[in-house]
Parts: sequence; C-alpha cells; structure tokens
Amino acid sequence: MLSQTKNIRLLFIAAAVLIAAAFAVVLLYAPPEQTMGLVQKVFYFHMACAWIGMLAFLFAAVFGILYLSKKDLRWDRFEASSVEIGLIFTLATNFSGMIWAKAAWNTWWTWDPRLTTMTIMAFTYIAYLLLRRGMDDPAKRAQFGAIYALIGFITVPMTFFSARYLRTIHPILFGSGAEKMALTPKMVQTMGVSLVAFTVLFIALLLYRERLMAAEELLSALESAQEDFDA
Amino acid sequence: MTQWLRAVKTLIWKDLVQEWRSRDVITAMFSFAVLSLFIFNYAMELAPANRNEISAGIIWVVMLFSGTLGLNRAFSAEQDQGCFDGLSLAVPDLSVIYVAKMLSNFLMMLFIVILVVPLYSVLYNHSLFNSGFIGVLLLGAWGYAAAGTLIAGMTVQTRMRDLLLPILLFPILMPLNMAVVKAAGGFLSGMPYAQFSIWLPMLLVYDIIMSTLGLMVFNYVISD
Repeated sequence: MLSQTKNIRLLFIAAAVLIAAAFAVVLLYAPPEQTMGLVQKVFYFHMACAWIGMLAFLFAAVFGILYLSKKDLRWDRFEASSVEIGLIFTLATNFSGMIWAKAAWNTWWTWDPRLTTMTIMAFTYIAYLLLRRGMDDPAKRAQFGAIYALIGFITVPMTFFSARYLRTIHPILFGSGAEKMALTPKMVQTMGVSLVAFTVLFIALLLYRERLMAAEELLSALESAQEDFDA
Repeated sequence: MTQWLRAVKTLIWKDLVQEWRSRDVITAMFSFAVLSLFIFNYAMELAPANRNEISAGIIWVVMLFSGTLGLNRAFSAEQDQGCFDGLSLAVPDLSVIYVAKMLSNFLMMLFIVILVVPLYSVLYNHSLFNSGFIGVLLLGAWGYAAAGTLIAGMTVQTRMRDLLLPILLFPILMPLNMAVVKAAGGFLSGMPYAQFSIWLPMLLVYDIIMSTLGLMVFNYVISD
C-alpha cells in the first residue's frame, strides 16, 4: 500500500540540490535586468511557482478522471495531494508577483488577467479543500473531489481568456506582441534550471504527500479495528 | 426519447407544484432581490449619468445572489427525504434528473428576471427593456443554472451545505460573470456591436461546456 520511501528520499535530495543550484544560478549567473535591476530576479521563482500551480491543477484533473474511471482511492489521494501543493505554489506566485509589481508597476495589485486568474485559481483550490473537509464518506468525497477538480480545470482557462480581453500590462512571455519580454540566452537558461528544480520538488512533494495520506488512512483503519476488538 | 422527455416534464412539474404549494423559496428570493436593489441604491448613489454602465452589473449581481438562495433549496427535499434513491430508480436515465433540475433552476432564474427587470425600470425610471440585454440575461441564467445545479447537487450532500455552495460556485462562474456583464452592459448602453462582439460567443461557449459537463458527470453526483 505504501510506496517506496527510498526513492522519495532520493527525489528529495535531487530537489534540494536543484533548488540550491537554481538559487546560485539566479543570483550569480543570470545578468541583472536593464531597467528593473535586481528586482527582476524574483521572476525566476515567480514563473516556476506559477508553472507548478498550473501543472498541479492539470495533474489533479487527470487524477480525477483516473479516479472516476478506475474507482481506486490511490488516484484520489494523488489528486488531493496535487491540489494541496498547487495551492501553496499558487499563493507563492501571487505574493512573489505582488513584491515584483510594487517595484516594477508601483502598485501591489492590478486587475490584470494573470493576476485575476491566479487568484481565482487559488480560491478554486480552497473551495476544493473545503468540499473535501465537509464529507466523511471516502468514496463520495473522492467522487465529488474528482468532479470539482475537473470543472475547475475547465473554467480556470476560460477565466484567463475572458480577463485577457480586458487589457493587460503584465509582460507576455510567450507568443508575439509589442509587450513581449525580451530574455537574453542566459536568462532563458536560468529560467530552465528554475523550472526543472521546481518540477522535481513538486513530484517529490506529491509522492510524499500521497504516502502520508495512505499512512493516515491505514492508521485510522487500524484504530477502528482496535476499537472493535476492545469492545 | 419520448419517455425521456416525459420523465423530464414530470420532474419539472413536480418541482413547480411543490414550490407553488409553499411558495417559500420564491417569496424569499423575491424579497431578497428587492432588498438588494434598495441596498445598492443607497450604497452606490445610482446617478442617472452612469446608470447604463452599472445597471447591467447590478441586475446580474442581484440575480446571482438571490439565485444561490434558490439553489440551496433545489435539492434539499430530495436529500432530506431520501428521495434521490427513489428518483434514480424511477427515471429511465440518470441524465433526466440533471436536465429537469437544471431547467427548474433556470425557470427560477427566469422568475427573478421577470420580477427584477421591470422593478428596476420603475424604481429608476429607466427602461431596461432591450431585447439584446434580456437575451444576454437569459443566456447567463442558463449557464448559471447549468453550473449551479451540478454544484448544488454536491454541496447538499456535505456537512456545511448552504455555506459551501457560493464558495464552490462563484469561482466557477467567473468567466460567465465577465461575459454577461460586458455583453449586457454593451447592449444597454447602445454601443456598436463590434465593440463587445467577443462576449456573446464566450457566453454561448460557457453555456454549452457547462451543460455538457453537467450531463456527463451528474450521475457521479447522485450515485454511489
């Protein structure tokens, strides 16, 4: 029932090394940005956190579909773990973005599509966790969680596209346009290191959290068996 | 197919008769809608100059909030009396339950539109009878009912119930909100259609996606 601890530990060591490397690359290797200077360096972590937030939501939706078709609670644990980790990274995206926005735009907040979408996404995750907390029956909880993860995954991009039509001042990374951010090759490499490091960390956290949840379920099963035995 | 349609019709009829006998929910929704309009009046100083801009937003917010009152009750009879099991046995296909509930929730939203739009026109001496505006509100009501029925079917089975419904529903409704308010505001202020043409397709896409999704997953909401 419980997955291998040794592999997870190895993954964690890899994640720690990679995160340390990312910090070193961001601080020492990446060139300072022309106009924003050092503040721009938060971008490498901001971008990575946003990436993990979206990846986590995608994973949650996929695990939700897997649960609905296979009815194996293992997928439900993976889905809930993914959402929990995604929420943390989404909030980190919002806060790191606000620090940067105050320096670059001279405002903590603006009604930009990306800011709006990230915040709505955080609230969708919070709603998902509240929904799960309100239910006792594990099968029903898993079923509703899967449905909500799926609906959320479909509506969050729609929120983004809707908000995009209401003008944006956020730098556009991919695609074309006058506001497209120009990254030097060194910056792109730094971004790559940061993305890889955060993705490995995400996978490690996901496996670890799933294992913890399985252990919790096992423990409560044992406890209720003990109670039955005592009675 | 005819059997399916007849089952849908019967279930909607059941909801309407049940509601008509007590009239609890409609009375509450109506009072809530009127009170919200009064609160908005004093909270926002609705000056004639900027009414067109915000009328659409206010009407939609009133619909949204009084709609949650109705949605909270939409499944409470079924849940409390253990009627879900009976219904699942009685209908030819589980999708009937979703379609019927969704349509009765849509009728409920329609009822709010029928009450609030003339009332707003009278209170502010400002006619809202614009076919584009009403059309957008109805499309919005459809999307709201499609998403709301699905979420309400889940929240009614949780411990927190009423508390949870808006928390789960509002993030999901965000694209719909933006599309409805922009499109309805555009029609109301007489803007050239090209300036807000993006929102109508957006609204339709949302309605289609939510209705399809509801049909696909609602059987997981009521079965174990």
